[in-house]
Amino acid sequence: MVTGIGCHAKLYDYIGTSGIYGLHGRVLPVSMGVKLGNKELTVIGFGGDGDTFAEGSSHFLHASRYNVDMTMLVHNNQLFALTTGQATPTSPKGFKGKSTPDGFFERALNPLGTALINGASFVARSYALDPKLSELIQQAIKHRGFSLIEIIQPCITFDDTREFVSSHSYQTKHDTTDLQAALKLSQEWSYELDASTKIPMGLFYKQSRAVYTDNIPQLDGPLYKKKHTPNLIKIFDEFY
Amino acid sequence: MSVLNVTIAGAAGSGIAKAAIVLSKALIRKGYYVFNYRDYGSLIRGGHNFNSISISDKPVFSHSDSADFLIAMDKQSLENHSAETVFSHNNLPVAEIIKQLGAPAMVTNSVFLGALFSALKLPLDWLNSSMDSEFGKHADINKQAAARGYEAYSASKKEIFPSNSKAKHMFVSGSEAFGLGAIAAGIDLYIAYPMTPATPVLHFLAAKQKEHDFAAIQLENEIAVVNAALGASYAGANTMVGTSGGGFALMSETLSLQGISEIPLVVYLAQRTGPATGVPTYTAQADMKFAVNAGHGEFPRAVIAPGDPAEAFQRTVEAFYLSRKYGLLSILLSDKHLSESNFTLDKLPALSVKPDRFIAKPSVGYKSYEITKNGISPRAVPGQAIVRGTSYEHDELGHTIEDAPSTVKMVDKRKRKLETLKLEITKLNPIKLYGKSENTIVSWGSTKGAILDALPHMADWQFLQVCYLSPFPAEQVENILNTSSETILVENSSTGQLTDIIAEQTGVRITDKLLKYDARPFMPQDIMKGVKKVIV
Ligand SMILES: Cc1ncc(C[n+]2csc(CCOP(=O)(O)OP(=O)(O)O)c2C)c(N)n1
Repeated sequence: MVTGIGCHAKLYDYIGTSGIYGLHGRVLPVSMGVKLGNKELTVIGFGGDGDTFAEGSSHFLHASRYNVDMTMLVHNNQLFALTTGQATPTSPKGFKGKSTPDGFFERALNPLGTALINGASFVARSYALDPKLSELIQQAIKHRGFSLIEIIQPCITFDDTREFVSSHSYQTKHDTTDLQAALKLSQEWSYELDASTKIPMGLFYKQSRAVYTDNIPQLDGPLYKKKHTPNLIKIFDEFY
Repeated sequence: MSVLNVTIAGAAGSGIAKAAIVLSKALIRKGYYVFNYRDYGSLIRGGHNFNSISISDKPVFSHSDSADFLIAMDKQSLENHSAETVFSHNNLPVAEIIKQLGAPAMVTNSVFLGALFSALKLPLDWLNSSMDSEFGKHADINKQAAARGYEAYSASKKEIFPSNSKAKHMFVSGSEAFGLGAIAAGIDLYIAYPMTPATPVLHFLAAKQKEHDFAAIQLENEIAVVNAALGASYAGANTMVGTSGGGFALMSETLSLQGISEIPLVVYLAQRTGPATGVPTYTAQADMKFAVNAGHGEFPRAVIAPGDPAEAFQRTVEAFYLSRKYGLLSILLSDKHLSESNFTLDKLPALSVKPDRFIAKPSVGYKSYEITKNGISPRAVPGQAIVRGTSYEHDELGHTIEDAPSTVKMVDKRKRKLETLKLEITKLNPIKLYGKSENTIVSWGSTKGAILDALPHMADWQFLQVCYLSPFPAEQVENILNTSSETILVENSSTGQLTDIIAEQTGVRITDKLLKYDARPFMPQDIMKGVKKVIV
């Protein structure tokens, strides 16, 4: 497992498995690196919404393109929690945090739409209190390619939206191979929390396509098992 | 020692860099020594570029700005340069030859090379065989162009001195030597984002990846590059990243993650003229303190500064070795002048260390950060055991801690690792002394070439080259400086950064400095005249 920095990342110390407790925002490149180093490992990244969509936004854009065979679980509490409650790119309009005492009025990012447009091959949204989440995570891990699950996970200290999310969300029923339908779903909720809000949950899209390492045969197998015995004399020859 | 300088000048894209390589290779194969300096601007077509080529019967490591022969491919070149013998459109019917041959304008450079060979009374065969290997399927038309240039030149001729050597030499750029070193060290993965003058290593390794079974990849930015490198290295891969100052700055937070996580990492840092975008295709030695100090917090690292391709090759293997053995950040510090110049070597040196992976079969109850006497925690990889890397301060198992005693324990472990490293480095020739005289020139990195070529003309001067900038070989440097009458620092910077490091590490203050910060490398004349001027 690879984690960022934030409340979500405390998970690293709760689960005693192998992994890297990395830097804020850098879950995706570290995870990618682990997978390139040993493609037999199962790699799961854990990031916050601040971590993944703000500090790590450049990596988030490209991870979908690369389609590395890994799973990314984004714990979205719609705020920076560990730094005591500031707005993130997916905070709800009007959010009053310590850095936005008069409310947050920026337009939210659309992370699931962004991932879909850029080629992520497994895109889903779920809710931390949904008992079906664990099954969805298993599905994501089994999927060969870049799997993204946005997990809505209210911060019960700084903005407890549990009741709201429970009462405004619904399970999607659509053809999960239909990109257009998935894109439409991704636009249904703009992270606002008003009476008319409807939050689609479930698997949005799944597609099978080549993963990053498929095109680079030199990355086969755990690289540390390779025994390089370069014939230096021969290599030097072309420089004479 | 006889030296002859040829300058080939023209607009970017007119083939002068290629002509310089063809000429150089034709000569090194006949026992000559050649040094090729490339001067080019930050644009792809147009502007004014030149190559300055020193040809000698003895090893030569530097260029000169006074040319014996000038190939001027355009008007600008005639304005910017001069020489005893000049080849240009004014005295050679180049356009006519190209037209008669029905050849593309691209072979213009070969017409000029033919004329040069004629003026030096050299056999055209030498040039032809070099063209065969350098131009591949375009060799024939270039050879025809060269033959016409050879015939067309009838002005004064001056036979070149003999090479005095039957030995075949290697012709290698600094970049190629770093790449060869990485291959010799058993690289699995090279990751980079393009940035001059580090890019040629990316190109070199990308071209070699299939043949030697490693991958060379490019990611979205330097932050991704260095984080992915740590991830891969954690998984067990021999990993190196490459960049220049700006990209290195972006990597610096992650260098600090390397420090605490102790995941091996090799960084190739090729300096160019800063600050910021600066003079991007030119040289400088102004990022040394940055390399030695980059990253927040305190952690050990190796910063190694090779001075020529032979050292670049050998030190790259050392950088890999140290990074794996110590869970260390190894920085290979180069610059435009070393990386993009071509040098003649008799051969590449033998490896100074064995490029082991240092991956131990872990015992039951493996601890990623085992507290040991020498500070080195045995390395394992995920899949073999629970292996935990972390950016937080941690206990032996890699669990986050915040209490005072545990914090001190881990800091002390890393400090002991540094002490062990310091000891080992004393055995890796961290300094080199050339000549034995009462006065000392102190320098590091790519200035080595110009200094070595100046030294025979400087009675009473020896040259101290500092190869390890961190950990700093304080005792060895101090011993030499304490017995030196006059000491002068030579550095391609405006402040003389090595004097500060020497003062910090040894207490010895060097006040005489010969500095060059016009974005151009030193030439031997600069050293000879400059030292005289500073030391009166
Ligand atoms: C480069 C950097 N900038 C800022 C921080 C401070 N910081 C720590 S956690 C955090 C925000 C975490 O928010 P999020 O990723 O949403 O995770 P959460 O705490 O909400 O789970 C920030 C800004 C940091 N550790 N590193």
